[in-house]
Amino acid sequence: MDKSKFQSWLLSILETQDEEISCSLCFDLVSEYVDLENEGKANGREWEPLRHHLNQCLACRQDYEVLRDLTRLDASEL
Amino acid sequence: MGKARSNEDWLIELNASGDQQVEAIADLREILLRGSLYSLNHNLSGHTNHDQNEIVQLAEDCAQDALMAVLEHLHEFRGESKFTTWAYKFSINIALTAARRDWRKGVSLDQLQDDSEPFEWLSPEHQDTNNPDHSLLQQEVFETIRDTIRDELTERQRQVLKWMVFGEVPMDIVVQHLQTNRNTVYKMLHDARLKLKRKLLMQGYGAEEAMALFYTK
Repeated sequence: MDKSKFQSWLLSILETQDEEISCSLCFDLVSEYVDLENEGKANGREWEPLRHHLNQCLACRQDYEVLRDLTRLDASEL
Repeated sequence: MGKARSNEDWLIELNASGDQQVEAIADLREILLRGSLYSLNHNLSGHTNHDQNEIVQLAEDCAQDALMAVLEHLHEFRGESKFTTWAYKFSINIALTAARRDWRKGVSLDQLQDDSEPFEWLSPEHQDTNNPDHSLLQQEVFETIRDTIRDELTERQRQVLKWMVFGEVPMDIVVQHLQTNRNTVYKMLHDARLKLKRKLLMQGYGAEEAMALFYTK
């Protein structure tokens, strides 16, 4: 594990919440979040559990990033 | 890419019968293929020896699986997002899962299953040898992490942590290997992080202290 990865991992440990949402709940919420984010309306505190999960879960984050990028690409092609 | 539909149009036409439903399903499949192809092109090409024809074939298979998943879950769509965004996430999830599994094809997790001590996973290169005080404190953090991993994590937590954090094994490979689901693996990692965090806090290392210790140049 190189230095930057160790730093990221240490930060992820220290930012751990007592309760975190599951990958299933993240999957349920992410499409609404992406649409709101694309409209600049996803800044609310109610989305913090989702954002936290996306920071902690690489697999869900990758899924989210592709969904975000693809929907933005679609919007730009309209 | 098919005709423009509102969320309501999608639900009506996918639940209709005859030509209207056939056309809606064909358009949905085209959207899902776009999602899976985009996912694979951005996450598979460059990692493997697949040529574009193989990627397209895999994308077709993923789109088909995604179509089944979307139709199965159609009753759960509440209109909180655009229908196309909601549908895309199925094809992206299925395609990226396939890509992550493909990336590690041929690498057995058993090869990463050894009896090495947790401390051996942490390289000493992180220590600040130019600053003895820092070095001592960093050593204390390493020892806290090592002892917690060794003494307080369950065997399964320790193994999953080693695979995913130190071995960089994608979650989907671990899920497949353990014949479980993402929620279970995420929970194992969460519980492990929580134990490590609590131990570090007990030693006086909150985020601020630890970052000051490890983020200095």
